[in-house]
Amino acid sequence: MERKLVRPHSMDEALSQREQHGMDALPIAGGQSLLVMLRNKLIDPKILLDLESIGELRGLQRQSSGVSIGAMTTFFDLLSSTDVQSAVPLLGQAAAKVGSTAIRNLGTIGGNLCHNEPGADLPPALLVLNASVELRSRKATRKVTLTEFFRGFFETAVAPEEILSRVEIPILPQGARGAYIKHAISPEDLAIAGVAVMLVPDENKADAVGELRIGLGGVAPVPFRAAKAEAAVNGKVLNDDAIRAVAEIAASEAEPMSDPHASADYRRKMIKVLVRRAIAAAMERAERNGHGKA
Amino acid sequence: MAKLKLEVNGESLGVEAAETALLLDALREGLGLTGTKRGCETSHCGACTVLLGGVAVHSCVVLAARCEGKEITTVEGLSRDGELNELQRLFLKHGALQCGYCTPGMLMAATALLRRNPKPSLEEIKVGLDGNLCRCTGYTGIFEAIQACALSGK
Repeated sequence: MERKLVRPHSMDEALSQREQHGMDALPIAGGQSLLVMLRNKLIDPKILLDLESIGELRGLQRQSSGVSIGAMTTFFDLLSSTDVQSAVPLLGQAAAKVGSTAIRNLGTIGGNLCHNEPGADLPPALLVLNASVELRSRKATRKVTLTEFFRGFFETAVAPEEILSRVEIPILPQGARGAYIKHAISPEDLAIAGVAVMLVPDENKADAVGELRIGLGGVAPVPFRAAKAEAAVNGKVLNDDAIRAVAEIAASEAEPMSDPHASADYRRKMIKVLVRRAIAAAMERAERNGHGKA
Repeated sequence: MAKLKLEVNGESLGVEAAETALLLDALREGLGLTGTKRGCETSHCGACTVLLGGVAVHSCVVLAARCEGKEITTVEGLSRDGELNELQRLFLKHGALQCGYCTPGMLMAATALLRRNPKPSLEEIKVGLDGNLCRCTGYTGIFEAIQACALSGK
C-alpha cells in the first residue's frame, strides 16, 4: 500500500491523527533525517504526518522566564535570531555546527531532538541550558526535562499519541558563559564527540566556579550530563589540575560505541581533550566579555 | 498518487507523483528536468541542490508536496534565452568543473549564497558550499568563480 501524506493545519488535527494511528502516523518536521531513514528502509510508517502547516509550532518567543522555541524552528532561524544571540548564544553556536547549509535551512530543533541520533549537535548544548520540552497529546500537555527526554539509542520520551510542540530554555544565571565544541572528520558530519559546557561563576568567590554543567553527545547511547564531573568541581577554583580532573571524570562517565568513524577508546580520549577545550573557551569568553549575559 | 502543481523556474507545472514523492524525483522523473543530479540520496553530496523559496535545499530530502505554492529554481532556470548567466560563465572561465556532475548543485548553492550575502568572504563561501561535494578537481576554481561573481556585482 502506498504511504499516505497527511498535512494537518492545526495541532488538534495532528494530535487526532496521533491518537488514532499512534506510531503508524510518524510526524515529519524538517525531514532532513527522516527522509534518509525512509530511503534506507530503516522505517516504514503508513502515514507521514507533516507538521509544516501548523502555525503554533513555529516562532521563538523571548519571555521574562526564558526563551520558548516552537518545534518547527529551523537551525537557520536559531543561528540567525537576535533573541538567541542575546539570551542563549550557546544554542546559536551549536545550531551553526549542524550538518550543512541546506540541512540548516530545513532541519528543525524539534526534529533534531525527536530523532535522537548519537552525535547530534543541539542536545549537548540544550542539556547544559537546562532545557525542557513540551509534549502534547489530545488529553494532556506535559513538560519533560531534557535529561529525562532521551531514553535510548534513537529513543525518546515521546509517546505514540504525543507530539513535541516546544522547547523551553530558562533564563541563564548572571555571568554564565557557555561553549560547544564538536569533533568530526568533516564539519558537516555528526559529532564523533560533542561537548557543551556552561560555566556559572561563584557570586561570592570571584575565581571559583558556582556551577559547571557538562553535556556530552556522541559518546553514549544517549546525550547526557556528566553529573559526577560536575559535582567534583562546583565551588572550587578551576585551575589546570581541576580542569584535567574534571575531564578525566567526564570521560569515565561515557559509554562510547565503536563505529566506522571512531573506536570507543578514541571517543573516550577525545572527551578528555574536548572538555578541557570547552572549559577554556567558556573561560575565555567570560574574560573577554566581563560580566553580563552568557 | 497525488497531482501537484509546482512553480518551477517561473512556470506553473503539473506533475503526478506518489503522495510522499521527493522533490528530486518530481523534478527529474516527473518533469524531465534532469539538470538536478541524483547523487548520494542521503543529503551528503549536494548534487541535487535546488532553490526553494530562494534558499538552497537538497531536493533528495524534501517532500514534493511541501513545495506547492513555493518558488522552485533549478539549474535550468539560471540561463536566459540560451545564454549562460554571469555565475555560469565564470565557472567556465575559472575551470570550476571537471566531470561536471556536482556543477548544477554548486551553481545553485552559490546562487543561494550570493542572494543571502552578495559580498561573501572566502570563509563565508566555504560555509555556503559546505553541503556540496566535488570529487574531481577540488574547490579552488569554484571559490574563485564565486568570488569573481561577487566582485562583478551581476
